[in-house]
Amino acid sequence: MLKQVFNLTLLQHTIRTATPLILAALGGLLTEHAGMLNIGMEGMILLGAFFGVLGSFFFGSSLAGVILAGLVGLVIGLLFAVFVVDLKSDEFIVAIAINMFASGLTVFLLRSIFGVKGAFSSPDIVPLPRLKFPGLSSVPFLNAILNNHSIFVYISWILVVLIYIYLYKTPHGIWLRASGEYPEALETAGVSPKKMKYISSIACGVLCGFAGAHLSLGYLTLFSENMSANRGFIAVAAIIFGRANPIRTFAAALMFGFFDALGIRLQVMGIPSQFTQMIPYIATILALFIVTKRQIAKVKKNKERDSSAE
Amino acid sequence: MNKKFLKRDLEYILSLFLSILVSLLIGAFIMIANGRSPLLGYGALLKGAFGSKYNIATTLAKTVPLVLTGLATAISFSSGIYNIGGEGQLYLGAFAAAYVGITFTALPKGIGILLAIVAGAVVGGLYAYLPAILKVKYKIDEVITTIMLNSVAVLFTSYLVNYPFATTKGKMGGTEIIAEGYHLKRLIKLSTLNTSIFFMGFIAIIIYYLMEKTSAGYDYKMVGQNSLFARYGGINDKKQMIMAMVISGALSGMAGVFEVLGVHYRFLQNISPGYAWDGMLAALIVKNNPIGVIVMSIFLGALKTGSVSMENATSIPSELVLVIQSIIILFIAGEAGFKEKFKELNLKRKSKQKVGEKNA
Amino acid sequence: MAEKLIELRNISKRFPGVLANDNVSLDIEKGEIHAIIGENGAGKSTLMNIIYGLYEPTQGEILFKGKPTQIKSPLDAIGLGIGMVHQHFMLVPSFTVAENIVLGNEPKHKKLFIDYKKAVAITEELSETYGLKVDPHEKVESLSVGIQQRIEILKVLYKGADVLILDEPTAVLTPQETEELFEVIRKLVNDLGKTVIIITHKLQEVLAISDRVSVMRQGKMIGTLQTKDANEQILAEMMVGREVLFDELYKKESSKKEVLSVKGIKARDNRGLVALNGVSFNLKAGEILGIAGVEGNGQSELVEVLTGLREMEEGEFIVNGVEAFNKSPNEIRKLGIAHVPEDRLATGLSKDASIWENLLMGIQHEEPYAIKGVHINKKKVKERTDRLIDEFDIRTPSGDLPVGKLSGGNMQKVVIAREFSFNTPILIIAQPTRGVDVGAIEFIHSQIIEKRNKGAAILLVSAELDEIFRLSDRIITIYEGKITGEFLNGEITKQEIGLYMTGKHTEKAEGGEKVE
Repeated sequence: MLKQVFNLTLLQHTIRTATPLILAALGGLLTEHAGMLNIGMEGMILLGAFFGVLGSFFFGSSLAGVILAGLVGLVIGLLFAVFVVDLKSDEFIVAIAINMFASGLTVFLLRSIFGVKGAFSSPDIVPLPRLKFPGLSSVPFLNAILNNHSIFVYISWILVVLIYIYLYKTPHGIWLRASGEYPEALETAGVSPKKMKYISSIACGVLCGFAGAHLSLGYLTLFSENMSANRGFIAVAAIIFGRANPIRTFAAALMFGFFDALGIRLQVMGIPSQFTQMIPYIATILALFIVTKRQIAKVKKNKERDSSAE
Repeated sequence: MNKKFLKRDLEYILSLFLSILVSLLIGAFIMIANGRSPLLGYGALLKGAFGSKYNIATTLAKTVPLVLTGLATAISFSSGIYNIGGEGQLYLGAFAAAYVGITFTALPKGIGILLAIVAGAVVGGLYAYLPAILKVKYKIDEVITTIMLNSVAVLFTSYLVNYPFATTKGKMGGTEIIAEGYHLKRLIKLSTLNTSIFFMGFIAIIIYYLMEKTSAGYDYKMVGQNSLFARYGGINDKKQMIMAMVISGALSGMAGVFEVLGVHYRFLQNISPGYAWDGMLAALIVKNNPIGVIVMSIFLGALKTGSVSMENATSIPSELVLVIQSIIILFIAGEAGFKEKFKELNLKRKSKQKVGEKNA
Repeated sequence: MAEKLIELRNISKRFPGVLANDNVSLDIEKGEIHAIIGENGAGKSTLMNIIYGLYEPTQGEILFKGKPTQIKSPLDAIGLGIGMVHQHFMLVPSFTVAENIVLGNEPKHKKLFIDYKKAVAITEELSETYGLKVDPHEKVESLSVGIQQRIEILKVLYKGADVLILDEPTAVLTPQETEELFEVIRKLVNDLGKTVIIITHKLQEVLAISDRVSVMRQGKMIGTLQTKDANEQILAEMMVGREVLFDELYKKESSKKEVLSVKGIKARDNRGLVALNGVSFNLKAGEILGIAGVEGNGQSELVEVLTGLREMEEGEFIVNGVEAFNKSPNEIRKLGIAHVPEDRLATGLSKDASIWENLLMGIQHEEPYAIKGVHINKKKVKERTDRLIDEFDIRTPSGDLPVGKLSGGNMQKVVIAREFSFNTPILIIAQPTRGVDVGAIEFIHSQIIEKRNKGAAILLVSAELDEIFRLSDRIITIYEGKITGEFLNGEITKQEIGLYMTGKHTEKAEGGEKVE
């Protein structure tokens, strides 16, 4: 039975389910570095999923869907920034409003535009293209796992590297980090921290929009109510688990994606999947616990060292 | 100290009304964009919420979980510890009540109900205790932990009612029906309004008294405003935070209990459509004022109830009220910021005028 | 006459509810060291932030080299060659020294990436040119304030500043570091042709370093003098607006029973470093014991340890014969210690709460203010609030006003009213008049003396030596977490005590009796 669960398909599914988490978490880690924890990613993903379908359906092109999803993400990211940065609202309350807005608006539009309840699917929704790398097809193992995925899978991997380079190797990325850690320092250095926060928030919105589009256009072509299904929160978990470092966050998202994929397979086989689904949440709490424990131990160690030095 | 409202309270109430008004206007525009008449829509909504005894009863029934989770939010937020885990505490509390209701079937009516309420409160409180300890002892952000724990609780209860406690009658993700003696009496025909509203009223009075009139309430408030000041003044701030969190969890747990005892008579895996979030909304809108929580809960309950009638009468999807609610929240979140910007603009305009006068 | 570099003409800055700068005019000449002095809240920092583009003036104009100029952001200021070293250092703690210095204008390679090697080279070169030693690779969070200040200055110089604005640069420095800083400033001006504006409230420093001095009071510019024409008395009078001759305080002698003693106290600061290293002293009824020291030598930690807000590692702490080692703040209050904390907004008050709520802290569970310790008796609370507002001259329309709306002096009076109203035998008072206007200072001093004359034992911690000398019966000096001397007031001069405060007394051998 183990063989039925742990096989190549599981890894394939892991990559697929991890992708929206990776995209959203990359966006969220940008705002995290700019000093804003964005719990509104849940809503942004949901909106992205809906407008992805809408665009693809009406324009008959998956690119149109992606663009629309990205645009909606941009608008919501902008909204988040206006409230949090300029109006100094509580980021958390604004995020809750965004989540509520998303779940209300998507269902409202689902019913008033498509006239359906629950879910909408249609053969007119054009899915995202899948990429085939002919060079890989001769490599048995890698071919099965890596080849023939939806385009955002590959984009998300490239983005991990690009965002890493951006954050740590370019001046702009350094400003972004400074805007979160000590905005006044950046401001007196002649760079507007507000601008950096806006940029991070908008980028986060766009990436969450893409995450949503991947959900609704990547493998399935449908939109269903509450389709984001906590992925925004799991993305937050991945960011915390990965301490906002793009590589570590990527690894965390992959891990959470793995457990998600595992859960789905278990469920199909009639085994309770709830416990595997809990893993991202519990792992995050444990990670927070371990990190603080370590910090406490470090301080203690320092103390002992001081004492012995005296 | 004196009975009359302070200026800043009045100002806030004013901007609150303004926010709600503007949000409803935006809702009206959406209706027009959908080719529907907002007058008809809101008329149907109002009628649906308060038009008859049955409608009022339905509105009030929706209010019960909102008030309890709203007060749960109010007491924890005003103590400076942010319990976002109401939904999870509600689920566990509800399950605990259902467990009591299907296990101790022979208990006399009153005692059984009381036991179920206590069980729900204890379970909810304990589930809030965990993040409280993590916060106080290890400084782990409770916002994150409680959000994570929400999902854990929902998944865990979902496991329980699909496997060990699944009803034998059909596959529905629910427990067996609780014993007859646990059913709270329905008050109005056809509506789900039941005697839990009296329990709720009683609990609300206690929480109001605790928060507004007692030394303990003072302690909570001071810890919430400035915990260092509270500690300096001799308050055990950590203990108060934990207490506030546990009370908050217990209130959310009880919200779940009443859904089981009064509405569904069993635990269901989707027992709450986000009551704790709506309750939190009510508390946020009124800045954790306990009386305000009750007023806002009725308002939100009316929106929810009325929206169904609105949909039936005008075929405007009822989810419109979610959109309206979220816009209200946005306005409230930006309230202080809007005011500040407004004052700044005013200042600029005035100084420009002055310059103009001088030049003239 | 020297060239006028910056001219401010009739600058006003209004914040909601406050007029921070009121029609201020000021000239800065090229190549001068210009001091700006004034009490807390006089509007010095606001004015400098306007020059640096952080605030936009509500009214008025700025001339740069004779031409009207708009400075809308720090970027504009930097473009004009104006740099500012803020009182709170503007350094990103997790970044290295080099990263901080080039922040905002990083050297690049391939136009896209930061050239860290070059940043390091730049840092080393600057460090060399200006004689300010730093290690480019170290993270700022692990450096001392003195070094952080050097980095700040280098940062400003890297941006090509010709005019340096230094906001209260000596507030956190030891006298030795201050002297070093002054050397650097002189070098910048005399050898390298820079212009320096220095904000301070320490008169001796003004006289020591500046060429000209401008005095501000309550948002207004009072006047500008050549420093050689000024002395402390003249400047002080301009600062406070009248002759400053404090009344002689009447001190009554009474019994001198020991009520508090500490022996060998050790404690650490927030970063885990040793802050108190074996502190011992005692405190008697009817006396004021002043603790003199440069800020950051353990005074804050000492007060926190004695009031239960900080953990003690070892030592003995006895209050009225009872061991009080690591008791909670509440238990210590019950032993009869009241506490006026050094930072009223952080520790002593809740600014969002009303005056009555702030005055209630500490007795909210006690009869008659809480019936059976549960129900707050609003009537009794109001009576007490009104009485204290009257007794302590708190200027407010009502006890319902949030404390945050009061002026600094009135806020401090709320803290003092509350703590003094408990009538405890012991009072621990830290920085009682920081950021308080002169009128309130006199009132607060007289209240403290009255407490003393009634037999209370008072431990007074103050960064203002004048305050220590004016109020104390006995003075102990603290340096790097150790007591370096103990004196009766009158036995020692301010100059001499300075040596004890900086640990230099041992170099000069004898001088004052050394205790413990």
